[in-house]
Amino acid sequence: MFTTGSKYFLGLSVLAGVAFAVSMFFANPSALGATALIGLIGALALLAGVILFARDGDVGSGEVTASSNRPAPKSMWPLVTAGGAALLLIGTITQPVFFLFGIVVLVAAFVEWMVLSWSESASSDDEFNAGVRKRLLNPIEFPVLGAVGLGLLIFSFSRVMLAVDSRFGVALFIIIGALLIVGGVLFAMRPTLKQGLVTAICALAAIAIVGAGVSAAQTGMRSELVAARYESDHEVQRECGATATDYGDSGVTQTISSVSGVNATVEFVDGELLAHVQGMTGMQRAITIPRSSPSNIIFRNFDSGRFRLVAHLGSRQVTEGVVEEVVACTQLIKSGAEQLLTLSIPKSSAANGPYSLSIAGVDDQSIDLVVP
Amino acid sequence: MAIIERPASNVALPFVDAPVTASSTFGVLKRPVAATGWKSWVFTVDHKKIGIMYGVTAMFFFVVGGIEALLIRLQLAAPNGKVLNADVYNQMFTMHATTMVFLFVMPMAAAFANYFIPLQIGARDVAFPRLNAFGLWALISGGIFVNLAWFLGGAADGGWFMYAPNSGPVFSPTHGVDFWALGLQIAGIASLTGAINLIVTVLNMRAPGMNMMRMPIFSWMALIVQFLLLFAVPVITVALFLLTFQRNFGATFFDVSAGADPLLWQHLFWIFGHPEVYILVLPSFGIVSEVLPVFSRKPLFGYPFVVFSGAAIGFVGWGVWAHHMFASGLGPVSVAVFSITTMLIAVPTGVKIVNWTLTLWGGKLWFTTAMKFSIALIVLFTVGGLSGVTHSVAPSDTQQTDTYYIVAHFHYVLFGGAVLGLFSGFYYWWPKVFGKMLSEKIGTWNFWLMAIGMNLTFGPMHILGLQGQPRRMYIWTEARSGEGFFNLGFWNLISSIGAFVIALGVLLFLINVVHTARKGEKAPLDPWDARSLEWLTTNPPKEHNFDVIPTVHHLDEFFHRKYKEDENGAMVKLKSAEDIMAEQERNADAHIHLPSPSYWPLVLAFGLPVTAYGVIFSVPLAIFGGIIILFGAFGWGLEPATAKPSDYDPPINTGDHSGEVVAVG
Amino acid sequence: MLVLLHRLSSVLRRLRGWILAGGTVIVMAGCATNAAQDTWKPKGANATKIDNLQKPVFAAAGVVGIIVFAAVIYCVVKFRDRGQPIPRQTHGNPALEITLTIIPALILTVVGVFTVRTVFDLAKTSDTEMIINVTGQQWWWEYDYPVQEQYGITQPIVTSGQLVIPVGTKVLLRETSRDVIHSFWIPALNGKRDAVPGRIQTNRIEADQPGIYAGQCTEFCGLSHANMRMEAVALSKEDFAKWVANQQSEYVAPADGTLAKEGEAVFLSQCVRCHQVNGLTRADGSPAIATADENVWAGVAPNLTHLMSRNTFAGAMFDLSTPECRKDVWESDSATFGPKYLAGVTEECLNQTALRNWLRNAPAVKPMYTNPALLSATDGKYRGMPYLGLSESDIEKLVAYLLTRQ
Repeated sequence: MFTTGSKYFLGLSVLAGVAFAVSMFFANPSALGATALIGLIGALALLAGVILFARDGDVGSGEVTASSNRPAPKSMWPLVTAGGAALLLIGTITQPVFFLFGIVVLVAAFVEWMVLSWSESASSDDEFNAGVRKRLLNPIEFPVLGAVGLGLLIFSFSRVMLAVDSRFGVALFIIIGALLIVGGVLFAMRPTLKQGLVTAICALAAIAIVGAGVSAAQTGMRSELVAARYESDHEVQRECGATATDYGDSGVTQTISSVSGVNATVEFVDGELLAHVQGMTGMQRAITIPRSSPSNIIFRNFDSGRFRLVAHLGSRQVTEGVVEEVVACTQLIKSGAEQLLTLSIPKSSAANGPYSLSIAGVDDQSIDLVVP
Repeated sequence: MAIIERPASNVALPFVDAPVTASSTFGVLKRPVAATGWKSWVFTVDHKKIGIMYGVTAMFFFVVGGIEALLIRLQLAAPNGKVLNADVYNQMFTMHATTMVFLFVMPMAAAFANYFIPLQIGARDVAFPRLNAFGLWALISGGIFVNLAWFLGGAADGGWFMYAPNSGPVFSPTHGVDFWALGLQIAGIASLTGAINLIVTVLNMRAPGMNMMRMPIFSWMALIVQFLLLFAVPVITVALFLLTFQRNFGATFFDVSAGADPLLWQHLFWIFGHPEVYILVLPSFGIVSEVLPVFSRKPLFGYPFVVFSGAAIGFVGWGVWAHHMFASGLGPVSVAVFSITTMLIAVPTGVKIVNWTLTLWGGKLWFTTAMKFSIALIVLFTVGGLSGVTHSVAPSDTQQTDTYYIVAHFHYVLFGGAVLGLFSGFYYWWPKVFGKMLSEKIGTWNFWLMAIGMNLTFGPMHILGLQGQPRRMYIWTEARSGEGFFNLGFWNLISSIGAFVIALGVLLFLINVVHTARKGEKAPLDPWDARSLEWLTTNPPKEHNFDVIPTVHHLDEFFHRKYKEDENGAMVKLKSAEDIMAEQERNADAHIHLPSPSYWPLVLAFGLPVTAYGVIFSVPLAIFGGIIILFGAFGWGLEPATAKPSDYDPPINTGDHSGEVVAVG
Repeated sequence: MLVLLHRLSSVLRRLRGWILAGGTVIVMAGCATNAAQDTWKPKGANATKIDNLQKPVFAAAGVVGIIVFAAVIYCVVKFRDRGQPIPRQTHGNPALEITLTIIPALILTVVGVFTVRTVFDLAKTSDTEMIINVTGQQWWWEYDYPVQEQYGITQPIVTSGQLVIPVGTKVLLRETSRDVIHSFWIPALNGKRDAVPGRIQTNRIEADQPGIYAGQCTEFCGLSHANMRMEAVALSKEDFAKWVANQQSEYVAPADGTLAKEGEAVFLSQCVRCHQVNGLTRADGSPAIATADENVWAGVAPNLTHLMSRNTFAGAMFDLSTPECRKDVWESDSATFGPKYLAGVTEECLNQTALRNWLRNAPAVKPMYTNPALLSATDGKYRGMPYLGLSESDIEKLVAYLLTRQ
């Protein structure tokens, strides 16, 4: 069953596989080496496979009478090849992405064309020839087309989910998921359903998703995601003043979920700043935070107006002679809202303090932060 | 292998040579159709062969996990042990638990379920035979992958519960945890596919007349386990993904300074972890519920109660996870609620013990090795159950949790419950699976050594724990082990000796297996005067399981075919098993189509560890693994369930296709 | 071999009764006396509440267990195959089943009621009399006492190794962690409570009598989990006031020209990179502030201001006093305990070997992550105390200096 040529290439690919295993397990694994060796394995195995399928050129069982003077059957590959070449050329003068697409189309077209013409001369039986082509190419065509198709659907759907309102997005996800299940169940319960109908429904659904994805991509992401993108760039420069900043105070988180066991809850009520400390009864004016330990403090704004909680954490020397105040703060949150502030303070308040919590723009209220 | 043609007795089918088309001469990938040799095992989709391979795999990992346990007990036999250092010890106890839970008990239960569910419900195979083969190979890949870490910088060292943040990249800088998370992910895929497969099998492929309340109790318990797996495995999958992303891709799911809460992991882990406990013990409960009636010569006492208490455990098992977290700081309301639900689950568990005891009551007890293991299970599991009740008392649990008292508790549950049940199953079903009787003499020694060894090992741990020795410590110190002859050092030593007694017992079992394989006596058709449907075929079963799919009229169908009640209420034997078998063979079905072997499950299962390895070390490799998986999936999808005639050498005649086609996947 | 096994088994069968009886006696009498972490020896109000709840539950479980064993043994003896006919194929008895379901349910209901009551009782914090913050770290605990004037605590006190509390006082521990999850457990005083990073979890303890109560970290926390021990020291209220006064005393530098003074210099050049001694100043008069946040992953190392006022070091793994002195303190009665403890570790009592071994090469005696080659995951920061390469004379000087830290 194994021909001489195929044995050679199979042996080489196994050798490459062994080399790969050795390099990954025993030598220093490197991404570059892995890529090279995997490429080698793939290429050699492909050659071996091609030769095996082609029986080293020995097609069929002897009674091969491929007629060379039959009229050539219809083929779309010349057209596709031309299209690929055109794309390639367009790519050189416009976008590199067209160039890449052109290469992919060309490679695909060459492979298909080559195998097609090889199979056409396999025997005089057209049906058999088609079978030979399928047997060789279907295992490649199906996974590639499947992956591309699925990828397109997933990508389109992700564009839709990024564009729509987040709450609507949840609903959409549930609805589409439910539709898929219902559709699947219906098809499964009616196996007699015409295949064409099923295909049509699936194709329509796919087109709808891709269409929605295209239009969603043109609309762009929903506003808070756009803002978040800018915000993360400006996070480091967040200012802790009383007025709202452009980015730092956009897309404010107004509620906290799933946080318990916080060190303290700081409330701003009627112009007064008080803390409820875990384990203590009554309201406190001082909070103890362990050194170097990330500690959670919840800020609740019960006053009218938007406020932020600011932690004053001493100062640090930036360069010789330049000293900078260290602050951390929440965003400006509206009345009735709450936000989490996570502090980790490396030096004790005796060494670097005093530390305190206050409300930006309110001078007479503060809570002592004691770091022992 | 694929298609079994049984010429009907009076009609001789003409044998026609299949036309040799050119297509059969093309292509490398001829379908594997070998009926003998290693190929018949590696590419098989036969649920019996897959079951046996599950068993062999599980047994191998049982030995591995056992050696790890022995090393642990050697280290702890004396104060300030020097056998292992702290690092290796931490890896050892992590991998001992991981191996025993995921790579021994679960696969062994899968072995029994795979082998016996189709036989007990009167089916010829499972619903998706190739998926079944895939599950086995994925499990083997996952098991090897987890253990690969031993040779690549050190195994996982965070405990099988792998609490965050101790499992993070900072606190566990070797790749052990990566291998652990991805290996279990792969094993989880195996469990999930297995669960879906067996659920579909039980719901759709029962023999005519077998309604759910006539189903043998082992199949019932296995069914409940599959449902538990179906819902529990996705939870650990999510948790393991979070962990993998935290470790390999810089995510911050458990990073406190990024606003996360490490208790998230604990909730996810135990929502999986507690049902997991029932996943481990319920199969053994099923086995015991089969063995006790057979050797008591009377039906299971209160079959519906046992079924429904199993189902109740399956449901309530989802509402007790936080009792693993009584010391985590959940607040009094949560603690009180989970305390109560935990007490609640003790009730259906108690029902089972009562039913087993009442099954013995008034019976005619035959003390075979299988029966001894089952009776020991009743007693020892009761000990574990009762210590479990003491944990449900949350304040008391805050003293006991993370001490050796817990170790004692769950080893009484998992060794006294799960493992003894599995051994009972070995002795009971060995003649069915291999056609030879395991030696009862060696079996008796096997049993007593394991039973005594287990009490020596885990019994003293109750004392150790209640007197304050915490778990997971690579050394213990004499300064805190008290005074007197029976100080904690004494009990640690006894416990270590006990571990070796167990090991001796297991060794005797392995000797028994070899002895039986070489010169074991051939099993009669019905060695135990058994009751359920799997005994309605030869030992070992025919490839197609049953010559005729039986029609079921009773719970304990096989028993009722053999015995009838006379007018005085006494049981009278009507037919022998041989009579029944002969009757079956006379009426054998003509065309029985079984699914054909396939390469693709193996290809797909091989792609998984390659991808996982790539996730840890090199992304291109992960992509390469992904391509293997994709290729395998399409190859699988495009392959027909039954082999083409041209795949055979020489090609075979398919006859007409009017017979039933069993499999689709 | 089989013959031998058979003969042995018949001997065993004859001795079965004796073996069973012997086993029971061993288990009954088989408990260690004076195990330091015995969970059945409560020494404070909270642990007593747990004990009062668990003892009846254990008893009930024992009774149920004996009933099941008796039933199984009865069946095994009574119904063994003696050639009797195959029994009637009875499928059960629903009335009996239901009864046997309800009985355990009733027992558990009673247990449940008491359990819930105790759970809420133990969670009560409203009548707290004193607060101590407890912070876990690989592999030791830090205790800090916030300002509480009624106990004479006028500035935060930071200690480690031994948690000192006044007797008969309801102390609330506010627990958290700097790295991984730890669990604080002094079995004689209360059950355990995990110290989870990012969370403050409360646990109440109260000691009835002066004395030392042992404990151990019980949440697996990495390499030296086994070595993360703790001790709670209960002092009478007067003794506690003395202890507080000592902890808040001004720093007294060793006299010039002494070995201890040279030790102070070594401390300033080496130890202060991580360890704080309150009041210690550099040569230029500026305060010497520890920079553990730059060298240790969790950011803190134990405060050594009053090292000799406690009997242990390195996460309570080693005794700071010699075995004789340790025994003297641990086993003294509650009347004499306080003064003995407050005397601290004197030069005669100092466990020189342990302390010197530690200073010589800490990672060799306690497993820690300190190998510089393997610290890429922590940006080169240590988890634990590294090997410092101190010379013997430096160690000599340091020991002399540390002895002044009473």
